[in-house]
Amino acid sequence: MSPKPETAPYRTAFDRHHPAGHDERREAALSRFETLGFPTRRDEAWRFTDLKKLHRAVFAPAEGAIHAVPDLVPWRFAGDAHRIVLVNGRFARELSQVGDLPKGVIFGSLAANPALIEQTFDPTDTEGGQAFTALNAALFADGFALVVPAGVHLDVPVEIVHWGAASGRSFHLRHLIALGAGATATVIETYAGQGDYWTNAVTTVRLDAGAKLRHAKLQDESSLAIHFAQVRADLASDARYESFVLTLGGNLSRHDSAVLYGGADATCGLFGAYLLRGEQEATNATFVDHAVPSCTTTEVFKGVVDERAHGVFLGSIMVRQDAQKTNANQLNKNLLLSPRAAVDTKPQLEILADDVKCSHGATVGDLDEEALFYLEARGIPAPEARRMLIEAFAADAIDQIEDDVDLRAHFVTQVQRWLGGGAK
Amino acid sequence: MLKISGLQAKILSGREVLKGIDLNVKAGEVHAIMGPNGSGKSTLAGILAGKPGYEVTGGSVTYQGKDLLSLSADERAREGVFLAFQYPVEIPGVNNMYFLRAALNAVRRHRGEAELDAGQFLKAVRAKLKELEIGDDLLQRGVNVGFSGGEKKRNEIFQMAMLEPKLALLDETDSGLDIDALKLVSNGINKLRSPDRAMVLITHYQRLLDYVEPDHIHVLSQGKIVMSGDKSLAAELEKTGYAAFGDAA
Ligand SMILES: Nc1ncnc2c1ncn2[C@@H]1O[C@H](COP(=O)(O)OP(=O)(O)O)[C@@H](O)[C@H]1O
Ligand SMILES: [Mg+2]
Repeated sequence: MSPKPETAPYRTAFDRHHPAGHDERREAALSRFETLGFPTRRDEAWRFTDLKKLHRAVFAPAEGAIHAVPDLVPWRFAGDAHRIVLVNGRFARELSQVGDLPKGVIFGSLAANPALIEQTFDPTDTEGGQAFTALNAALFADGFALVVPAGVHLDVPVEIVHWGAASGRSFHLRHLIALGAGATATVIETYAGQGDYWTNAVTTVRLDAGAKLRHAKLQDESSLAIHFAQVRADLASDARYESFVLTLGGNLSRHDSAVLYGGADATCGLFGAYLLRGEQEATNATFVDHAVPSCTTTEVFKGVVDERAHGVFLGSIMVRQDAQKTNANQLNKNLLLSPRAAVDTKPQLEILADDVKCSHGATVGDLDEEALFYLEARGIPAPEARRMLIEAFAADAIDQIEDDVDLRAHFVTQVQRWLGGGAK
Repeated sequence: MLKISGLQAKILSGREVLKGIDLNVKAGEVHAIMGPNGSGKSTLAGILAGKPGYEVTGGSVTYQGKDLLSLSADERAREGVFLAFQYPVEIPGVNNMYFLRAALNAVRRHRGEAELDAGQFLKAVRAKLKELEIGDDLLQRGVNVGFSGGEKKRNEIFQMAMLEPKLALLDETDSGLDIDALKLVSNGINKLRSPDRAMVLITHYQRLLDYVEPDHIHVLSQGKIVMSGDKSLAAELEKTGYAAFGDAA
């Protein structure tokens, strides 16, 4: 099959950095991308998305140069953290600050830990995955790696701030999070930037038996930017993967979480909130594969969509024949704040086992007029009353992060910043 | 303080509910408005507080020399109008204390007073709870979320005490209360009576008036005040019911 024409600039960039025969796996991934090309509305996974936004420019991969970076404090987690900063897809040492880590823990740039790169590859890089997964596998230059050995509890969170500032360029980031048996960690990722760029991030998560990962992400990219992120998490028995994604930025964005249970009694919580305005379009997609018994999945996503923005939730839970005693609950609630705002929501359960507890639900509604009047009748000005109700709506998803007050506060602060007019 | 003249109103895209109401309330007075279900009591209270969904088709309302109906609901509240809701609204995710501080500070800003910080606010709350002899168990919950009927009404009275309105409209604050809750609520109302505050108690039953003595009683029936008198009118109504005013209740 001949390559799709839109893929040519990526081949040019690839050939410059990866001479022929240099890396077969990257070569295979690029060929796959060339065959697939960009998705279209005919692809089920993308049928709600306006993909014209992807074609408005050629986003050649960014080269190494680091641009001036503004003060990142508005986006940063306020509590203690080991922090690294990546700029335009590459580690920025002078902006990073990692304290003393427990013995055996690795946290830093992926490129600086070449031995770990191997672990980030996944069959979906070259088969069965999205076009952007393949493109990422071919082109990624850097990302972060966190490795926590068995039994080690990382009490201080690790924070990764990505700043994008190369207009017309793409950043292909590859991240690895690997927790040994019984290890625990909290990862806080932030994506922000300036200009018209494209972030394409792929994260591989491997949790050994009994490991617990809390994975939080703030997507507050430039209002012109494109942001695609995929997380694929493999869970051994008794492991817990908890993810919270707050989507505030980007012109076109998508976050995909795929969770594969490999052992019994593992759990995952996939939570998120998206607050959109202007002409923003954002998708949250989840795929959870219950292939083994006694695993529990909880999903709560809340959307606030204003002006002409478009929010999409695609939730898919597969309960295979052997996955008895599965618990799976999926909820997506949306608030439409303007007559031209739109939401598409598709929660889906496919159940092939018989002894399971599963539920799913989706709602799309307006702000509660009665509640609004109640607040106003106490003297609270209408705009403030609206903000209070919107914040409360989003907080419902944030509150799913049950036992971490500081992390909840981080996201509440970000929501309040958005409500304050989105000034940045 | 409040002068209602010939007020006529209809439900938006519905029928006429108020058919010419005249009412004069002076500072320091307590008026009771009684009447059968569906006579328009809540509609009147809602229109005075600025609730959407109604259309005023005639008459006027003057409050402290201002055209009340030209103000938005939040402006009215900041000017000192308080409506205790017949059905207080549950607002999940909005903490009661956070909400009340936002409200109090909005009112204080309007009055040209300094806003209260969290510590000052907590102190004010404690003092008010003590004065009203009510517990602090509801403060950290979502606004009215999961409250019993009595707790909701108690919360309304507490908000009123904190916001110190000039004109309090209490819509069936007595209904659905057991005798202890009724005493607690009426105790609150009595404590808030003051020479520069006017109150309008809307009630279906005479019961509340055993605890709170009004200066004037009006009977509302089918959108009109059909009778006004002093507190003895309540006892009379208790005997005859509203039947004489065209209602079976
Ligand atoms: N939102 C509404 N939509 C339609 N009819 C209403 C609405 N609110 C009140 N009404 C009607 O208006 C009339 C007066 O209601 P209301 O003021 O609630 O009476 P009261 O408080 O005296 O029981 C009743 O006939 C009631 O059914
Ligand atoms: Mg009523």
